[in-house]
Amino acid sequence: MPHHAHDDLFAPDAIRDPYGYFGAWRSEAPVHWNEQYQMWVVTSYERLVWTARHPEYFSSEVALRDSRPPAPTIPEEDMELFAAVRHWMAARFTQNDGAKHKEKRKVVHGYFTPKAMETWRPLVRQTVNDLLDELQGAGRMDVMHDFATPLTYSIIAGLMDIPPTDRAFVKELCGQMCGFDGNDPSRIRDYAAGVQAVTDYLAPIVAERVRDPGDDLLSVICKGEIMGAYTRDEVLANALLLLVAGHETTNDLVSNGVLAFAQHSDQFDLLRTDPEGRIVGAVEEVLRYDSPLKSIQRVATQDVDMGDGQRVGKDDRVRWVISSANRDPEVFEDPDGMDITRDPNPHVAFGSGVHHCLGATLARLEGQEAFAELARRFEGFELETDPDRLEYRPSVGQRTLLNLPVSMQ
Amino acid sequence: MARQLKITVDYNVCVGNAMCETFAENTFGLNEDRQSYVKDAAGDPEETIIEAAENCPVTAITVEDAETGEILFP
Repeated sequence: MPHHAHDDLFAPDAIRDPYGYFGAWRSEAPVHWNEQYQMWVVTSYERLVWTARHPEYFSSEVALRDSRPPAPTIPEEDMELFAAVRHWMAARFTQNDGAKHKEKRKVVHGYFTPKAMETWRPLVRQTVNDLLDELQGAGRMDVMHDFATPLTYSIIAGLMDIPPTDRAFVKELCGQMCGFDGNDPSRIRDYAAGVQAVTDYLAPIVAERVRDPGDDLLSVICKGEIMGAYTRDEVLANALLLLVAGHETTNDLVSNGVLAFAQHSDQFDLLRTDPEGRIVGAVEEVLRYDSPLKSIQRVATQDVDMGDGQRVGKDDRVRWVISSANRDPEVFEDPDGMDITRDPNPHVAFGSGVHHCLGATLARLEGQEAFAELARRFEGFELETDPDRLEYRPSVGQRTLLNLPVSMQ
Repeated sequence: MARQLKITVDYNVCVGNAMCETFAENTFGLNEDRQSYVKDAAGDPEETIIEAAENCPVTAITVEDAETGEILFP
């Protein structure tokens, strides 16, 4: 066990600096048992990729299979609600294995291919420019609230063709759900209320688009019902999944990236010398250096030998940590340094294997357009707060800045 | 007779998403590292193979005309 290491994944040091916390585990015990949360934690790159690429041992049917009580604990009276939430979550296409997963993913997969996503580049570029035109005069912004979230939310709401007049209201409802993998005892209640509200909002729109589908993303999901791959509950669960995951991860990419560039001005200077030529590598490095997703959970389908004498038991929780794999010195030279020219850069910010992030290409596209335009417009960023006072949302899964006030030069 | 294809997978890029196998199961398989490999370059019709390559989320697959070297995808 690493010196000073503890099991509290919500401890201030683990939230503020997951690289230090999980990095200590990676160097001494890359697969270890976390007693407090009753789960295996996988921190090395090699073990993460192996785990992610063996879905027959590590199931994605987490909501159905993980029957242990939630950790951290919730009030006893919320347990029934938790069961309902698990049932609802199981309707997402991501919560399937094998042939069922393939069939359900295929419904939406074609919408997100690199070739298909490229057609949206002009829209993303226009949205970036519109937002920055408004912000440039002030010379400062809260990156998360003024730029990253409006950008990524308006894109996904646009792709799903959510009526423009409803978007602010729907965004507010989505906000209720963000604490699900946090530590607030009331989080299940908030999450369930958010799910109910968004589902109630979407239900009549979905009914309409199942009758008369267009070519928007919500209609693509609705076509899953028409072709018999989804039930109505699955349509609604997947619509909600893509609406929320479609912006509340990419906004982290944009915010974490601006912070990284504010703290590594040499790398922003390098990007500015050739934004078009360097943008692809720059976004890949932001994804590696401070990944939006910190970790993903699976449930073991059988006893599995993980090496080094560690044996995962059937039905055990297994969580693999992207943040530490992306800083693994076995794979990345100077892993804690930021280098936008890193090549190759085989980071696992989008996971790996059959569940590799569906929206990866959209995230890349948004990141590329955002950072390329920032590099064309500004010489750099200065944090308007002490870096030690930056706050992250308490979460095992996501690396989300609550605020990021900067001034632009 | 259908033209012969040369199909290559970039192993620095392939993430083992297996969509190629889903779309063209007679052409693509997964190797020991769970990355894509070409088991039979003539396993499926050309349009099916191109569709499989298009559905790779990381554009790891290149399809060429084996004789002329013309790049058919990407």
